[in-house]
Amino acid sequence: MGGAFGDILARARAGDEAAFACIFRDVQPALLRYLRVIVVEAEDVAGETWVQVVAGLAGFRGDERAFRAWLFTIARHRAVDAGRSRNRHPTVPLELSEAAEQPAPADAADLALEAVSARAVVALIKLLPREQAEIILLRVVADLDFGDVARIVGKTPGAVRVAAHRGLRRLAELAERAGVTQ
Amino acid sequence: MSGPDAVHGEMPGFFPGRPGGERDEPLLDMIFDRRPLPPGAPPEMHDLARMLTVVAGPAEPGELAGEATVLAAFARLASPAGISPAASRSARRRLSVRPRRARLPMAAALVTAAAGLGSIAAAYVGVLPGPIQQMAHVTVGAPLPPHGSAHRPAAVANPRPNMTLAPGISVTRPAHSAVPRRIHSGTASHWPRHRMSVQGPGHVAASCIPWPGTTPSAAKPSPTPSPTPSAAKASPSPSAAKASPTPSPSATRPPVGASQSPVGADCPYIPATGPAQAAVPNVWVSPPSGDGGS
Repeated sequence: MGGAFGDILARARAGDEAAFACIFRDVQPALLRYLRVIVVEAEDVAGETWVQVVAGLAGFRGDERAFRAWLFTIARHRAVDAGRSRNRHPTVPLELSEAAEQPAPADAADLALEAVSARAVVALIKLLPREQAEIILLRVVADLDFGDVARIVGKTPGAVRVAAHRGLRRLAELAERAGVTQ
Repeated sequence: MSGPDAVHGEMPGFFPGRPGGERDEPLLDMIFDRRPLPPGAPPEMHDLARMLTVVAGPAEPGELAGEATVLAAFARLASPAGISPAASRSARRRLSVRPRRARLPMAAALVTAAAGLGSIAAAYVGVLPGPIQQMAHVTVGAPLPPHGSAHRPAAVANPRPNMTLAPGISVTRPAHSAVPRRIHSGTASHWPRHRMSVQGPGHVAASCIPWPGTTPSAAKPSPTPSPTPSAAKASPSPSAAKASPTPSPSATRPPVGASQSPVGADCPYIPATGPAQAAVPNVWVSPPSGDGGS
């Protein structure tokens, strides 16, 4: 959104639904892609995240980058909560839930058959170790710098940078195997 | 060395196929920063940059499916009043659950306060029983109790018609009638009036309060409860009230519905006009008759 973000955010805080819709449309794809990598119930967690964002919008202070950092921090917390809740109540068989939602990573050859879409890339990133995948998505998709990512994941910026580099290298290897690259 | 001496899986920190991959870190940083890669960069780097550009791209179909739900939540939660920090804090306070042990003393205190205030108010109105009214007169300066008003039952429920509810109270009510009618009406009086309500067929609730127009000293209980208005009594205290054996226009309540009702038409259970026989009350309470009223 660039320089217009401050005005849009102010309108949203004043109750302007259209302004909030602009923010939602700008952030929601990145949020969903991030959550699809770190949690099974991505859509549910995204909804909970937005509800919390709405509730805390009045108290938020900061620019667009700070807003994204705040929102993805909320999303990460909600994802952790969802994971804990799922572990406490494992009622759905794996083959009916998680495995059914990630067909692409299971068969990397499918990735080569379809156009390179964001979903396909997310599926590839999901094959990375969890920490590397999360850091790459926060850095690239959420457009946060290494310092913000480090604060969100609870690591030092240097460690985050190293993990991000390793993740990219591994991602290139996976893409080459899957034939996604040209 | 002429080539890699370890497979890629054993050296995960290195770029695949590129021993000494740590040298590509500037390129990886350029990819992260979305800066254009130099023309001489390896094709894998370009592929990576393209993939990350796609994954950071605009929304794809289905990714905005939850917009309506989120906007509905926004409209509900982020109204102009609700978006303010104070309103948010208030909402959080409303959502917070008070400990149960903190609510019980609060409820007890509220009930106690309400009972105390109600008692004081009743004392000043003068509707308390005689001894209590006397005590209220001494303690809080309430009016003196009316002479002879020693006891007034507050309310009596009687599931059967035409029977005496309590000493001093008699109820006459046709069993088939379920519509409440006015029992009596009258002008303003410092005496509270008898009140009754029918809560359905066979269920009568009565409030026994001295009949207006009678003096406190005039009320006498009837020796035997009677379903007839003339024999009914309101005060169960033998020393305080006695019912007159015969109705008196000034001391007893006339037939319900009779135009000569001594009280006004403010009681919702008494029809304002109508023949006495036709307007036999389905429920009513006879007023106490005065000592000298008979």
